[in-house]
Amino acid sequence: MKGSRPLHPGAWWLWALGLATAATRTASPLLLLLVVAATGLVVAVRRTGDPWAGSYAVFLRLGVLVVVVRVVFWVVFAAPAPGPVLFTLPSVTLPDWMAGTRIGGPVTTDGLRAGLYDGLRLAAVLVCLGAASALASPSRLLKAVPGALYEMGVAVVVAMTFAPQAVTHVRRVRAAHRLRGRPDRGLRAVRGLVMPVIEGALERSVELAAAMDSRGYGRAAAVSPARRRATAGLTLAGLVAVCAGLYGLLGADTPAALGAPVLVPGLVAATAGLWLGGRRSPRTRYRPDPWRWPEWAVSACGLAAAAATAAGTRTGTPPLPAAALVLALAAALLSSPSRREAG
Amino acid sequence: MRARAVAVRLRPRSALTVGLVSLAGLVAFGWPLFVAPGAGLTQAGPASWLFVLLLPLLLLVALAEISEGGVDAKAVALLGVLAAIGAALRPIGTGVAGFEPMFFVLVHGGRVLGRGFGYLLGSVTMFASALLTAGVGPWLPFQMLGAAWVGFFAGCLPRLGGRGEVAMLAGYGAVAAFLYGSLQDLALWPFATGVSTSIAYVPGAAVTANLGRFVAFDLATSLGFDVPRAVTTAVLVAVTARPVLLALRRAARRAAFEAPVDFRRP
Repeated sequence: MKGSRPLHPGAWWLWALGLATAATRTASPLLLLLVVAATGLVVAVRRTGDPWAGSYAVFLRLGVLVVVVRVVFWVVFAAPAPGPVLFTLPSVTLPDWMAGTRIGGPVTTDGLRAGLYDGLRLAAVLVCLGAASALASPSRLLKAVPGALYEMGVAVVVAMTFAPQAVTHVRRVRAAHRLRGRPDRGLRAVRGLVMPVIEGALERSVELAAAMDSRGYGRAAAVSPARRRATAGLTLAGLVAVCAGLYGLLGADTPAALGAPVLVPGLVAATAGLWLGGRRSPRTRYRPDPWRWPEWAVSACGLAAAAATAAGTRTGTPPLPAAALVLALAAALLSSPSRREAG
Repeated sequence: MRARAVAVRLRPRSALTVGLVSLAGLVAFGWPLFVAPGAGLTQAGPASWLFVLLLPLLLLVALAEISEGGVDAKAVALLGVLAAIGAALRPIGTGVAGFEPMFFVLVHGGRVLGRGFGYLLGSVTMFASALLTAGVGPWLPFQMLGAAWVGFFAGCLPRLGGRGEVAMLAGYGAVAAFLYGSLQDLALWPFATGVSTSIAYVPGAAVTANLGRFVAFDLATSLGFDVPRAVTTAVLVAVTARPVLLALRRAARRAAFEAPVDFRRP
């Protein structure tokens, strides 16, 4: 894909979250494997040579681990399940204060299959998120944080820039200790290592703060008291509504109106407060990532996969989700914008 | 025994936001323990994923609320640099069972620079280290909130000096590291066991019965990691306390947080 510009990281995350939702809505192992295969193919075609592109393989291995752990749990801590018995493990019943848990016992084919499919579903969701973190550049994503989180974004960027330097610093101090014949490993060495590294880091932070101050960091736009009150009110009311909604969803005798009908407006209000709080930051973005038709296409495909899987599971038409997954694949592969179009 | 620096001031509004988000966060960690049988959310699948989607947004709201107006360039620079140290230390711990060296930075940072700073330091350190080690996943918001609590409560410890302070911080480090590990297990629990194994939670069972099942799950999986993590954190905090606290206090004094700034012509 020579000459293609990288897509907006938000598009990849929407696409992956759509596919992950599709994975949670289905119980069919074939569809789950199809989801994993789709992400794998898209990552193989669209990934770059950047260091974070390797995270897909990490998540793939993690997915295999999840399946294995889930199946082992099902075998060792099997609850009685119907179906033919494959084999019987020696069983122990734990004391009463541990809720009388039984370990071992008969393992049935149904139980084993359920464990395998459950693990597969979890693994598919993890692999989808792995695909997003392999395709979306974290630094571009940090550039797109809302204005209210600007300070935190800067702190994360500072941390990511200084972390490699801290590692080099530790190595240098250790080399110096070795040359002087002081211990360079073990608990005793930690004390000698921590001090110069922390001192050096704090020194650098003071310099950095001076540099930021002198470049006008931290200038905020004038915010009218009305808007400030609106921000505070939206945020706090939203959070209270979220807490009430959670209580309504988890409690038994709570009225149904206290569940989702309160939770969702609360989330909307809190998000609005976040957005309104960002208006105090008068900064413009340097070369912002555009959001054009390829971004629309990629994110729409992910969401279409989620919607089609939900609809297909409800109506019992398996071809529908499969077709949606193929669509997700096609659009993600085809929508590679050229540089010219990016302007 | 000296006046504590407050690098990030928590206004009443921010404190209220942090409290509400922590309440929702506690529910996100512990919902399998006290979910009612007839509730709308008893099935393992949708409920677990609801909290995975909900928690990042709530955490963003809390961080935005704390940082609004309260974070100047010096606090951001200190935050970034201390988070860099924590993030750089994290890969060291992956080879050893449960060893998590970044906690000592959170404990000392929260202690010297106050609870608001500790809260920000915990979440920023976790986020940066996840970006550096490619560990962005559904577990990240839970880890961020846990680490934020570690830093926050380190800033709430009572005033004490000398050896007593070192002992108190080491004890706090052990307790905090252990609770952090248990909370992460609690978040993992519904994902790892499903609903029908004998160590999975039972929707609607008494809290004690579910707690017993959780202890069984914890024993089966990660208690072997939590205990060594608590011990190594306490040792590391005790060994590094004196020099690191001194260095941080010196930096906080030099940075002169809360010094009034006046631009009027004299």
